[in-house]
Amino acid sequence: MAPASAPSRDAAPKEEPRGRAPAPPAGETDAERTAALGERALSLARFYQGKIETVPKVPVRSLEDFSLWYTPGIARVSREIEKDPDASFDLTGRWNTIAIVTDGSRVLGLGDIGPVAATPVMEGKALLFRHLGGVNAIPLPIAIDSDEEFVETVLRIAPAFGAINLEDIASPKCFRILEELQRRLPIPVWHDDQLGTAAATVAGLLNALALTHRDVRRVRTVLLGAGAANLVTARLLLVLGHDPHRLSIVDQKGILDAERDDVDSLQLRNPWKYRLALQTDGGGRRGSFEAALHDADVLLAASRPDPNAVSPAMVRSMAKDPIVFALANPVPEIWPEAARAAGAAIVATGRSDFPNQVNNSLVFPAVFRGVLDARARSIPDEIVLAAARELARHAEDRGLGPEHLLPTMEELEFFPHVAAATAEEAVKLGIARRRRTRDEFFERAREIMHRSAALGAQLRASGLTLPLPDEPAAGGRNGR
Amino acid sequence: MNPASHPRKEPTPAPTETGPTPTAGVPIHVRPATLEDVPALVPLVLRLKRLNEEFDPLLKVRPDAEARASEILAHDIADPEAVVLATEGVGADKNRIVGIVRARIRERNFYLPEREGVILDIYLLPLYRRHGVGEYLLEEITKAVKAKGAGVLTAEFPVQNQIAVAFYHKRGFRPTTGLYSRPL
Repeated sequence: MAPASAPSRDAAPKEEPRGRAPAPPAGETDAERTAALGERALSLARFYQGKIETVPKVPVRSLEDFSLWYTPGIARVSREIEKDPDASFDLTGRWNTIAIVTDGSRVLGLGDIGPVAATPVMEGKALLFRHLGGVNAIPLPIAIDSDEEFVETVLRIAPAFGAINLEDIASPKCFRILEELQRRLPIPVWHDDQLGTAAATVAGLLNALALTHRDVRRVRTVLLGAGAANLVTARLLLVLGHDPHRLSIVDQKGILDAERDDVDSLQLRNPWKYRLALQTDGGGRRGSFEAALHDADVLLAASRPDPNAVSPAMVRSMAKDPIVFALANPVPEIWPEAARAAGAAIVATGRSDFPNQVNNSLVFPAVFRGVLDARARSIPDEIVLAAARELARHAEDRGLGPEHLLPTMEELEFFPHVAAATAEEAVKLGIARRRRTRDEFFERAREIMHRSAALGAQLRASGLTLPLPDEPAAGGRNGR
Repeated sequence: MNPASHPRKEPTPAPTETGPTPTAGVPIHVRPATLEDVPALVPLVLRLKRLNEEFDPLLKVRPDAEARASEILAHDIADPEAVVLATEGVGADKNRIVGIVRARIRERNFYLPEREGVILDIYLLPLYRRHGVGEYLLEEITKAVKAKGAGVLTAEFPVQNQIAVAFYHKRGFRPTTGLYSRPL
């Protein structure tokens, strides 16, 4: 897969050059494109029967080599690890191997389809980890009946892994599971739908604020939607110094405030949302989304795919030169053209066919590269923010502007930089098993990513990775 | 005993909240409720009952609950066999009622100690929680029922309310009797 087509989660397909596509009308065209891609994906799935496989990393010249790679020689290696479990990071592939764990309870926009049906998605994620971050990722959909079982299962499989990526788990149980695993495991545990999306959002926002000469500590922000990503985005904004009195979270019931009728129930069912209800009071604003948005500098919408969820009039009611992130997929809460016509200075979406795609694929491969290279013990918010800041910085590589808020997936050079920033932060926080300089981390990340790309290219060039059966035989394109 | 004479408490902020908390170190003032407080206490009681509604269909709130709450509070405020404490904010929230505890004294016919103080309602607006205020309310109600001769303190709440379970468990309460229900 060419990097340019690395998708954002749930994103509509890319098929027109970035930035040139006018806002397509909602409905048929998108649906038809998505259906056509679906048909093709199905026939390719049937052809390839799996997107990843394990391949030896050591030479196997004859069966005799197995006395080194396997018994009897290997017993000596096991004994070393028995003495010092952390030696597993040096003597096995643990340093670069992660599990992608899901219960299939919220897969893409498909809902609770269960672990088996989630497998193709997890394989795709594993491919992205390999392709963009050089990470060995094992898809691990698990059949579980409760949050406790989920946690127990991951605790038990953790010894083989350097980090855990949780995927496609319904909210709010994803918060409970992530928190519990982060507390109990000595390796980083990440949930992309929370942390990856929030990090990409924060990165884009930092640049949008810079472009409109705003300070995060002084802006008024409205978050529309109180799902996994927005709750984490709100948390990160507060860590960055955003004034809680100028922050409003809005869900279907309106502005989340500490005395809303459902707040007691939230304390029991969604303590993460509850905590934010108490922390953010938006300056005492209560009631509707419109009430929250009036005079706001920033709208971060991550709610539902409805192009009329935010009207031009609402954008007009915001402060001068407002920033509008309409991140619902596959259809943003307002079409970018409509938002700009209503005065939005900067517009971002989750889609690759508009400028400013806020895409978690910009974040997770590099973050994992970084925490794996530092052999980090955990992944606190400081690391998420370090990655977001570094990502924001690299938008400048090709000219920061209202239509270029973030690096795009075509600009692969930024990945090792973000990895190095992540690893360096882990060292700073004292949670790295391996302490190196930032330059060393950068070189290491670049080498691993380079080797991964070279490996893919070689396999394609040699024909061992079969060319797409529905395309003309491989030419220069595959050599990329 | 007169809880009104108790000095104002300024509980310490919760230790490990993420991010800034606008209400860190919320000060409160607890005093016996008066009849004038009833209109402000009723919504608090209703919030508590509406939460209970979520735990079990047999806890569905009656349409006349508001009027009932008003009557019961007025009754208990005047009843020597009951204690109703009102919690006020201080500073900007002075004179605003932000919490309630209501307990009644029950005779225990077969057991010792003979008199029991039972907490029937305890509610604090969310912004005033997590600063040791709940603990403080519990101390105040303990003193009040003790002064009325109670030798044991109990609390009635829906068994599925895990937050209440944790709150009481942490403060030395243990489950003694159970109330099992079945619709007829």
